Amino acid sequence: MKKLSKKITIEYVIFLILFIAILPLGYTFGLISINTISLWGRYFCFAIAAIGLDMLWGYTGILCMCQALFFCIGGYGIAMHMSLSTASKGSYGAAIPDFMVWNQVTELPLFWKPFEYFPLAIALGVLVPLVFSSFFGYFIFKSRLKGVYFAIITQALALAMWLLFLRNETMLGGTNGLTNFKQLGGLNLSESSTKLTLYLISCVTLILIYIGSKKLVNSKFGKVLVAIRDSESRIRYTSYEIKNYQIAIFAIAAVIAAIGGMLYVPQTGIITPGRMDVKASIEMIIWVALGGRGKLKGAVFGTLLVNFLYSVFTSVLPGSWLYVIGILFIVTVLYMDQGIIGLPKQISKYISKVKATKV
Amino acid sequence: MYKLKQILFLTLIIITFFNNAFSKERPYYIEQLKATDLQTKSKALAQIIAEKEVIYFPILEAINTKKIFLYQNRLVTLGKKHNENNTTAYELIYLYPKKKAVVNNSSKVVEKLTNLKALKFSRKDRLSIIPILPFINLTSNDSDIRKLAYSQFQNKIDIKNIPILEEASKLETNKELKRYAKETILAVQLFETNKSSKQIELIKQLSRNKGDNTAFLLQKFLDEKPIENQVKIQVKKEISILKSRASRIDWLQNLFSGLSLGSILILISLGLAIIYGLAGVINMAHGEFMMIGAYTTFVVQELFKIMLGPQIGDLFFWVSIPIAFIVSGFFGLIIERLIIRKLYGNPLQSLLATWGISLVFIQLARSVFGDLTSVQAPTLLSGGWHIAPQLVLPYNRIFIILFTIIMVILTFLFLYKSKYGLRIRAVTQNREISACLGISTKRIDSITFFIGSGIAGIAGACMTLIGNIVPDMGQTYIVDSFLVVVTGGVGNLMGTIIAGLGIGQLTKLLEPVFHAVYGKVIILAIIIFFLQFKPKGLFPPKGRIANE
Repeated sequence: MKKLSKKITIEYVIFLILFIAILPLGYTFGLISINTISLWGRYFCFAIAAIGLDMLWGYTGILCMCQALFFCIGGYGIAMHMSLSTASKGSYGAAIPDFMVWNQVTELPLFWKPFEYFPLAIALGVLVPLVFSSFFGYFIFKSRLKGVYFAIITQALALAMWLLFLRNETMLGGTNGLTNFKQLGGLNLSESSTKLTLYLISCVTLILIYIGSKKLVNSKFGKVLVAIRDSESRIRYTSYEIKNYQIAIFAIAAVIAAIGGMLYVPQTGIITPGRMDVKASIEMIIWVALGGRGKLKGAVFGTLLVNFLYSVFTSVLPGSWLYVIGILFIVTVLYMDQGIIGLPKQISKYISKVKATKV
Repeated sequence: MYKLKQILFLTLIIITFFNNAFSKERPYYIEQLKATDLQTKSKALAQIIAEKEVIYFPILEAINTKKIFLYQNRLVTLGKKHNENNTTAYELIYLYPKKKAVVNNSSKVVEKLTNLKALKFSRKDRLSIIPILPFINLTSNDSDIRKLAYSQFQNKIDIKNIPILEEASKLETNKELKRYAKETILAVQLFETNKSSKQIELIKQLSRNKGDNTAFLLQKFLDEKPIENQVKIQVKKEISILKSRASRIDWLQNLFSGLSLGSILILISLGLAIIYGLAGVINMAHGEFMMIGAYTTFVVQELFKIMLGPQIGDLFFWVSIPIAFIVSGFFGLIIERLIIRKLYGNPLQSLLATWGISLVFIQLARSVFGDLTSVQAPTLLSGGWHIAPQLVLPYNRIFIILFTIIMVILTFLFLYKSKYGLRIRAVTQNREISACLGISTKRIDSITFFIGSGIAGIAGACMTLIGNIVPDMGQTYIVDSFLVVVTGGVGNLMGTIIAGLGIGQLTKLLEPVFHAVYGKVIILAIIIFFLQFKPKGLFPPKGRIANE
């Protein structure tokens, strides 16, 4: 018991009170609109993906520029299921989604078929990124690509996949993506109660994934990851198979991102290729960098903060957002290596240093 | 002697008679067009239309487009537009007997619309021209319209059109269109003869003419006409020859576009590779330095317009290239001094910082210049080089290829033959030892960034030749040029060139087989596969620097 109370610090308490108690209660008393609730629900999904990215970048030192891709693969999985379950209620009454009718497709493509069943869709939403990332990771890590090279290759992957998803022939809705979902597992998506449920599910998933990831990075596996980050050659000399660790964490990050994506799409009601381009992945890196990489709380905090700022700035000063994010990014990289989470420590260190020089 | 005089006299009479007959007859209708009486006018017009003579077509076209005017009692139409002191004036062109610019004291006459008397025709009169519009279009000013007119005659074959087609083709000045006209005439003749020997002769002539549609026309001839076996064999033979020629030309064209894409990639990657080799910084804002170069070109163009008026000619473009180099280089210098200097030895951090810079630059360009601007390409570089029928190499692409070669040579000379190049290479190899030997590494860093960004600026200036200027234009090629640098090996000029050409060529060779998008995916797969064997690129650094 003592151990547990030691672990629970003030940040966790604030988070829980704010998002589990105040926000839902505020809604039930009519003080907070359902849209605000839904907005925060979406931010939680981003935070889930950011946790994966932080484990990859902050802990293992691998800068991945295609995290949004895996986020979207999960999202597309659930979106395909939802468009199929609402297809017969579409404007054309056909058993296929509307966009296929526009593209003169008469029969459901084979790879769409498994997504008709909810459990199968969920399973595939996790499995596809898992297999894809392991396969891709195997080839990349086998040839010991790292650092900048890895960043560029993943960036090119994100670009290529984005182009692929934009095409109409890939049967994923092209530029418009998938939208117009009506229901998920029998729940009507336009109802407020569903939105609240999804919000709570996202919040709980975030907490669970956070706890799981925390356990992972504190385990022996996590220690090896940090060792790889700090000195790859030394850990290789001590006969660890680095490649396996790298592939594993790459795949774990991908799966976590996909879970975030799966929760995200029912709440926004649309998924387009625009969510998975290079820019989207780098945005995720900004969240982690600003919050504080190498700390899971940093990733969550950074995500919530940047997205909150985004919604504030785009409504108050439209057009200024790119300046804000660009400058935030530069300042973070230049002066706040530990992100905002690490700022108090950095300041106290600086003060003690100043004091020491005075004496 | 007397007889001779008599004969001479007789011929003189005959000549004057005919002369009068012709010269009176024809301009007679033309004169009547100028009448104020509507009925006379439409009668004359009807007569002109009925005659269907090529010589009248410019007049009819002018009537149809309502651009017919009287100038010193002669029929004229409007030529090039001049804008001076907020008033619009036009050059004038005589319509009869030949299209010719109106000249006064060897300078072109420019008149305002208010000084001209418009000839008005009723709507009914103008409508009566429409049936012969395809014929009129054969002599249009616009080469696209002429081409369209010929293609109409290819579709609707009628032997009666041959005299007009021949007349029109004689007036044709454009080489390509002359070939097209000949193709049309031959095709019409071919479809309208029934004699096998004549058919074979025409088929051979058609094939030798190497027109755009010849294969298609011959196929149509084969499908539609009942012809003898001997002719059939000939047609099939010619079709196969033409088709293999077409595929060869396609291949050459692809090779050329691959070369041009490759040189664009090289031009962009050149600066990137130098900076990466020296500082280990992947400059995500490199594309934005290119964008700055493009906007510099735009600004130079606008400045020229302010100083010299709307007719600025080509000079601004050549002037803007060195200016783009300096402006982009200067921006690079500032960025290096303020931000990147603090991040050396930290490649991932500097990658992220430069990304932040690129976001700010894009937004800055958007708020200053708006979303879309373009530079008018120099007239010298418009059009293309007609190497053979159907094989046209655009001048702007050729220019980019040549320019890239020059830039590569200059960069090579700078890096390997100059004092600063030697220092840059020394710092690239070992920063500490270079510093020990008295090289000011900080200064070298600044110079490298200046040169690298400047080359990106030049690339941007060149890009204005082939596309619009948009704030995020740098993003289009940047991922590709990263791949070029990665594939080529760190900071290696030769590797960059080979990788750039290879990726450019591969892209264009894959494009016709797969769609461009799938081509891109395949190239990525090939690069990943390639890196399995050469993880440090084509030309990996050797020795001690290879380890870190």
